[in-house]
Amino acid sequence: MTDVRSTPTVKGRHVAAGAAVGLTYRIVLRQLTSRGRIIGLSLLALIAPLSGWALGSANASLDDAVRLVASVGLGLVLPIVSLVFGGAALGDLREDKTLVYLWLRPMDRWPIVVGAALAAATLTAPITIISIVAAAVLTGAGHGIVAGTLFATVIGLIAYVCVFTLFGVWLKRFIVWGLAYILIWEGFIAQAGAGVARVALRKYTRSILVDRTGVNLKLADFSLTTAVVVPLVVAVAALAIAAWRLSNQDID
Amino acid sequence: MSELPPPTATLPPPLPGQGGPPAAPAALSGMIAVNAVSKFFGSVVAVSDVSFAVNDGVTALLGPNGAGKSTLFRMMCGLTPPSRGSVEVLGFDPRNDRDVRGRVSLVPQQDALLDHLSAASFLEFAARTHGVANPEQTAMQALATVDLAEVGPKPVGQFSKGMRQRVKVAAALVNDPEVLILDEPLTGLDPVQRRHMIALFHRLGDEGRCVLVSSHVLDEVAKLGSRVLVIAQGRLVASGDYRDLRELMDDRAHRIRIGTSDPRRLATVLVDRGLVSGLSLDAHNVLVDTLDVDSLGRQLAAISIEIGVRLTEVSPLDDDLESVFRYLVEGR
Repeated sequence: MTDVRSTPTVKGRHVAAGAAVGLTYRIVLRQLTSRGRIIGLSLLALIAPLSGWALGSANASLDDAVRLVASVGLGLVLPIVSLVFGGAALGDLREDKTLVYLWLRPMDRWPIVVGAALAAATLTAPITIISIVAAAVLTGAGHGIVAGTLFATVIGLIAYVCVFTLFGVWLKRFIVWGLAYILIWEGFIAQAGAGVARVALRKYTRSILVDRTGVNLKLADFSLTTAVVVPLVVAVAALAIAAWRLSNQDID
Repeated sequence: MSELPPPTATLPPPLPGQGGPPAAPAALSGMIAVNAVSKFFGSVVAVSDVSFAVNDGVTALLGPNGAGKSTLFRMMCGLTPPSRGSVEVLGFDPRNDRDVRGRVSLVPQQDALLDHLSAASFLEFAARTHGVANPEQTAMQALATVDLAEVGPKPVGQFSKGMRQRVKVAAALVNDPEVLILDEPLTGLDPVQRRHMIALFHRLGDEGRCVLVSSHVLDEVAKLGSRVLVIAQGRLVASGDYRDLRELMDDRAHRIRIGTSDPRRLATVLVDRGLVSGLSLDAHNVLVDTLDVDSLGRQLAAISIEIGVRLTEVSPLDDDLESVFRYLVEGR
């Protein structure tokens, strides 16, 4: 055995925030990149372009096209794919007890959360943006819907990934809670009225789509500024809470 | 079976030497200082009012499974806060002081590694997350330290349990820690690697590091070093020199079951000759307590021949570690 004293010494050193973000990003990206997960989610995401193609083949109106993108793309594919990657970004590490290899290091907590969320967004973005924008294109309803879909998807992606990263840090069954949020809260309860809809991200992405296409959608009446700023504020707040939670929770 | 007489042993006092529950509430100091620490999980008391301090060298934390060893270690690393009391590592609060984490390493008990990484990549990652200047070289040196240099390119997911243990130990060395906390690090190692690892721990301790190693195996602790902390049921029940602890345990009453064709007759002779301090009977066995197990062992066969009874079984009932802890905790 060699003398471990010959290794470089580190006394009270800490890892800079940028380096910590990069290290976390790389390790989480690799951890999240499983063939099964990517194939499964890609197949799920195919629902959107297939629906768009079917609608486009039937010469559907812009209204129908926007409703399709809002319900299938922004209401189903985007949040579910974001949940799987965002929740697993730190949730998987916490559950398989490998989070200790990041937590027990001389680095701040927020770069760990930011790095993990960036890794989740990296994987979520191509699957969701390609499929949802493709759906908009295949409806054949014009350029307005395509630009609006791209804009709404990007804003929604940022917000959903950050919120579900928080779910992964905080909740043990983050997938179950996330699905409950997507399907029960956003899909059902938030449809009941404008008050509860304010705490549903879907309302903001729908509002962006409405603003860019002029089509009237139910419970999608925020101004463009509100529809963009609120999800971004929610994203930052979710990451801040996740960093606080990571600092204060028990680690196995 | 009739009731056994009350045990003759009493709860042992803390052994002399380093650490031990403090007589006064003054805070202890050391590379690791645990002061009146308790930890509750709901209504479950995992650790109860534990105090000790350890410094450089190897110290063994001995205790049965579920005694609270891992919880103590987690508190020392800041992974969970104490419910009461305080833990200081190198003079800092490990839960809240970011930079002290770079001076401490933990080998966790759980078999969790980043399985998709090669051993070399895993150690390189560990070095980078510690801010080590030359992570590649450090990783290779740490791998060589645990005799895994040749399998560095292989994914740790393909490793045996023993190899995974060594990878965890290597990962704990990359930051050249002043305090090294190892939770059951010898589990899954073959005898040769176990010997190598114990030698490594001693070398690290001799270099001035604080090396704290937990185990639930008494013989392992004997090899780990002379300084021992014994924890059972969440309480520190003894601390000090291992040899003193061993003597204390050898001095206690031993309980032995003797299967025989005539339990009553054999029991009468054993009592007459003063070989037992207490006994009970059933149809086929004599259950005896003895303070002099050697004498009993020497004389038992001769007595059975002398009185014409047949022996069918002689079994010690309390040589397991649980009974040792029970003795230390409850005096029985």
